[in-house]
Amino acid sequence: MATSSHDVTVIGRGARVRGRITGSATLDIQGLVDGEILVDGDLTVGETGMVASDLSGRRVVVRGAVKGNVTGEESVHLEDGAKVVGDVRAPRIAIAPGALVRGFVQTAGAGAARPRTTAAAKATTTATRPAAAHAASTASAAKPAVVPAARGSVPRGATLAGTNHANHTGAAPVAKKGPPPPIVPALKKGAKGALAKKR
Amino acid sequence: MASTIIGAGITIEGEITTDEDVLVQGTVRGKLNAKDGVVVEHGGVVEADVTGGPLTVSGSVTGNISSTDRVDLQPGARVVGNVKATRITIADGAQFKGNVDMDV
Repeated sequence: MATSSHDVTVIGRGARVRGRITGSATLDIQGLVDGEILVDGDLTVGETGMVASDLSGRRVVVRGAVKGNVTGEESVHLEDGAKVVGDVRAPRIAIAPGALVRGFVQTAGAGAARPRTTAAAKATTTATRPAAAHAASTASAAKPAVVPAARGSVPRGATLAGTNHANHTGAAPVAKKGPPPPIVPALKKGAKGALAKKR
Repeated sequence: MASTIIGAGITIEGEITTDEDVLVQGTVRGKLNAKDGVVVEHGGVVEADVTGGPLTVSGSVTGNISSTDRVDLQPGARVVGNVKATRITIADGAQFKGNVDMDV
């Protein structure tokens, strides 16, 4: 065969593989693979190729469908017609027009933290920790709209966030979402009088 | 050119199902179901039950073989397992252990 000299592996378009594919050859997937793919060589998912699991290779080129994480040691190219549902990670990533991606995409030098975690941290500081939130510059933009309405006082600018300490600590719990705080402490009728009598 | 090629250096653990022909130069563990021809080249290792059309073995097959067509064991082939096929040839120099079931 002409191909026997090369280390090329082809999963033909009529083929279906259920299970792991590992090794160090160049892999060309035109069929269906349901299982993890780990190769050291180049990996191509052709137009008719479908992979329903994670895959990783040196240089990964996707023209077909992938449902799983795509990891490239060197690069990942998502060409026209590619459909990827999963995370994409590689030092270099190219997404061509016509390629569809749903997932987290990260190239080298983009930092370790996911943007989702910072957004979540911002939400918790504004919602659950209003007293401490005035220190955060990100939260100050939301405050001026809330504070005047709750206090019924003079409108304040965003720059006031750091200066007016007492007002913010007092007003912020009102701005908190959820059920309003109890107005009267839960004491039985006549309990206050009983306390006074004891003294 | 075979439509599905398991190249040397590649290992597939699991089930391969295809309605086309398969060329094995690497390693396959599990099951190999092909409707068309299967060729296990020299250096190819199949540790699986194989079903398909005409089967040519120059490498190693451990597992039962069932073919709708002929099975050819080439010199250097090593087959351990039962073989069921319409016609079977075993070349001089091929190693084989197992039952043979031909349509008589």
